[in-house]
Amino acid sequence: MKGYRYPTHWLVVVLAVFALLATQCAPPAAPTPEAQVTPTAAPTETGAPVAQQELTPTLAATLEVSQQVITQVVEESEAAKAREPKKGITVVSDEDVTTPRTKRGGEYKDVATSDAVSFHPYLTTDTASSSYQGMVYTSGLLRLDENTLQYIPNMAEKYSVSEDGLTFTFHLRKGMLWSDGQPITAHDFEWTYQQVINPANEFPYLSQLEFIKSYKALDDYTLEIKIEKVYCPSLGQMAGLITPLPKHVWEKLPWNDPDKNPEMNKPSVVSGPYKLVEWKRDQYAIFEANENYWYRGAPNISRYVIEIVPDQDVAYQKMKTGESDTGPITPDKLKEARQLPNITVYEWWPAAALWSYIGLNMRPGFPTHDLHVRRGLSYAIDKDLLTEQVMQGQAKRMCSVYPETSWVYNPDVPCYDYDPEKAIAEFKQAGYTFQDGKMVDPNGKQLRLKLFFGPHTSKTRELIAVTVQDYLRRIGVETDIQALEWSTFLEALHSKEPDWDMYIGAWQATIEPHIMYTIWAEENIPQLNSVAYINKEVEKLFEEAGSNCDVEFRKERYQKIQRIIAEDAPYVFLFYNKAWSGQNKRIKGIIPTALGIGWNMEDWYIEEAPTP
Amino acid sequence: MRQGLTRYIIRRGLQSLFLVWIATLIGFTIYQLAPGGPLQFLDDDPKRTAADFERLSALYGLNRPILIQYLAWLTGEDWFAMLPGGAVWQSGQCRANPERCGRGILRLDFGRSFYFKGSNVIDLIAERIPATFLLGFSSLVISVVVGIPSGIYAALNRGKLPDHIIRVTTVLVNTVPEWWIGLLLLIILGGYLRLVPLGGMETIGDGSLPDRLHHLALPAVVSAISGWISISRIMRFEMLEVLNQDYVRTARAKGLPEHLVIWRHVLRNAILPFVTGLSGIFLLFLSGSILFELVFSWPGMGRLAVIAINSRDYPVMMGLFVISSFLGIMGVLMVDILYSLVDPRVKYEL
Repeated sequence: MKGYRYPTHWLVVVLAVFALLATQCAPPAAPTPEAQVTPTAAPTETGAPVAQQELTPTLAATLEVSQQVITQVVEESEAAKAREPKKGITVVSDEDVTTPRTKRGGEYKDVATSDAVSFHPYLTTDTASSSYQGMVYTSGLLRLDENTLQYIPNMAEKYSVSEDGLTFTFHLRKGMLWSDGQPITAHDFEWTYQQVINPANEFPYLSQLEFIKSYKALDDYTLEIKIEKVYCPSLGQMAGLITPLPKHVWEKLPWNDPDKNPEMNKPSVVSGPYKLVEWKRDQYAIFEANENYWYRGAPNISRYVIEIVPDQDVAYQKMKTGESDTGPITPDKLKEARQLPNITVYEWWPAAALWSYIGLNMRPGFPTHDLHVRRGLSYAIDKDLLTEQVMQGQAKRMCSVYPETSWVYNPDVPCYDYDPEKAIAEFKQAGYTFQDGKMVDPNGKQLRLKLFFGPHTSKTRELIAVTVQDYLRRIGVETDIQALEWSTFLEALHSKEPDWDMYIGAWQATIEPHIMYTIWAEENIPQLNSVAYINKEVEKLFEEAGSNCDVEFRKERYQKIQRIIAEDAPYVFLFYNKAWSGQNKRIKGIIPTALGIGWNMEDWYIEEAPTP
Repeated sequence: MRQGLTRYIIRRGLQSLFLVWIATLIGFTIYQLAPGGPLQFLDDDPKRTAADFERLSALYGLNRPILIQYLAWLTGEDWFAMLPGGAVWQSGQCRANPERCGRGILRLDFGRSFYFKGSNVIDLIAERIPATFLLGFSSLVISVVVGIPSGIYAALNRGKLPDHIIRVTTVLVNTVPEWWIGLLLLIILGGYLRLVPLGGMETIGDGSLPDRLHHLALPAVVSAISGWISISRIMRFEMLEVLNQDYVRTARAKGLPEHLVIWRHVLRNAILPFVTGLSGIFLLFLSGSILFELVFSWPGMGRLAVIAINSRDYPVMMGLFVISSFLGIMGVLMVDILYSLVDPRVKYEL
């Protein structure tokens, strides 16, 4: 055959490309590239700002900022008190939920780098889907107050807790309507709950519901929830546990078959501030105000459009040019963004802060099994400088498991301020000798540690890794750095036979301190407790703090936990992040709090002004 | 002759199907070997426990041996129940509700997506095919329209300045990754000069023809670059080869004007492979779209593939794999057949 021939090895090429992608691809649409502890329950906690690693914009990143930084350290005692499921109490709301908003009209243009997956609130786990669902479905019998961070009545106008602390009664507001005019009742809640607990129905977090003994509608407006045993975070957990779906529409449809249940991807009867007009996967979603929204009627902004852009740089450009009202601002662009004439950058220290650490492998056989080695490493790294250098002032030091914004924060813990001499002294106690600039173990070999992180595309983590390498070299410890694609990283991290000494990780702090128990419990090795931290005293303290709801009692336990964990040094604690968001100046009414800026999104309004 | 052709097509067709099948086997294994799995999104989620993980694994049948999973994907799992003790090899979902049993790719059931929560894979792909075809077709047209004349021009001026210019330019452009050129142009033309939109297929709520063309322009031009370069090079090569043929010398010798020699004798013969191979080239164009779709927010199959790969959504990955393998193999087959029709020297034997 003469002339141009088409490659017959075409298939091989396709295979190679796919294989390459399967192992190498950077994850623009991947699930959050971050280990996260998600705030207390609820798939759709509309008010909770999720500041993701490197501020990946999600719709939740419309939760954003003013030029002055808001620091919201919670008034400890008061906030804490309300967080407890008090026994034998009744709380009634006197909030006005009927006065309509007055500054209505206009269109808000949002951009996101990853699209939602489904509108079904009980199948998805990603933040983009939660945000979409939060637009159309209202959830939360209670919600967090943006100033006090207490749970206050929301869809329930009144709730009470029985004397024994095991029965919770919620009285729903009367007059709440679905978008088709039918009333929202306790039966919608109960029906939804019944579907969710059916194991065949795929709810990923079924174990989160295990503490509930029964969930019943006593009449149209009364819900009674019973729990097995006293569990302090339970009120918060119940607050947003069930996002009700319209029973009168859904009960005729299969729960989880998108072929036969159009509501899954195109909800027609909704309860949230917005109704879905059109959703084109990976292109855009258009929402319009829901006149029947129970909380003071339709939101001010009449139309809400989300455009999907796969690249953060492009999304940022869109904000700059005014094509969108918001956009992701990566830490390196923050300075520039603050100068943009059409943009206001709102900044806040979130109550649910993202904090970074270096995990140290505590399994026997690893150098970091030795307490002195771990302490030595903690001393060897200048965490103040690292915070300053890597985050450029957008973060604060942290010394143990709770950031300063937590109500149980304990300032009195060992912090391992940078001190190379102390570091070397600790290593000596572990049997190492420091000679000729090398840290040598008893067998005469120089100490080499493996430090790894994921995803390999994370600039922040790369910077942390090389900085750490540099500091450790100063005390004669060599570091091998490995950057891995996200899935590969997780697999290596959760391996039953790990081959690493250190990894760089981050957690999303929670407002309820008890949730952090999971990362220190022995039963969660190697998944959440990847460093294999085992301390029975810490577990006992957590158990106590979870079952005795006296505020001072709990606080004392959590403070003790912080001290013990800091002393054990399973992590080198680094810093927690500030959060921020850029919004076009024409969007008014934004008030940053410790919950972010999304908590009052319905009250935002548009003033036509600069779009250059 | 006719009969020979039919037999040839049947034989090549069967071979192609066999090739697709082998491809699926390799593809399936590679995907399974990649770290992670469809449930990896739960891997570091503190809200789930090991029990949640196992429950979902069983529900989706991900705890079965790879071979069984492959068999279920290939042939469906509904018939497992007919075998003695075969029901244990069905996924939990299938056991609980026979309607949710996969029927297998052999019965044209591509299965359901994990990432997109039970959506049919074939629907997800069908949704994206038009966008990918539009971009592929446009860039094909551009690369042919630019590539063929520039190739001819270079050949006719062989060794002279225009030839060098074209060659140096193509080499230079070829050394730079095109997606990077795309991103650069996007930021310059879109971000700073605001001549083109910053990606997407249409302005939300507009979608008129001029608006769509406006959105199409830059991605089509950028993704045409590599096609333009190779077409131009091949065209130049073909032209030069034909120019050296005896019949061209004869034509010149008998005093035919040069433009007629070129037009009638050279061009016609040189362009043959393109005319016949166009369909094949088109299909190849479709496969090269992944990076451009990412850069230009183009909602096509390439982006779907990236989502599927990152989330280890096996059914979607396999669906795209089968479809692109099928298109590719059909493309090659079509080229071979057309070529053999046009050029009698090609025999129907393999």
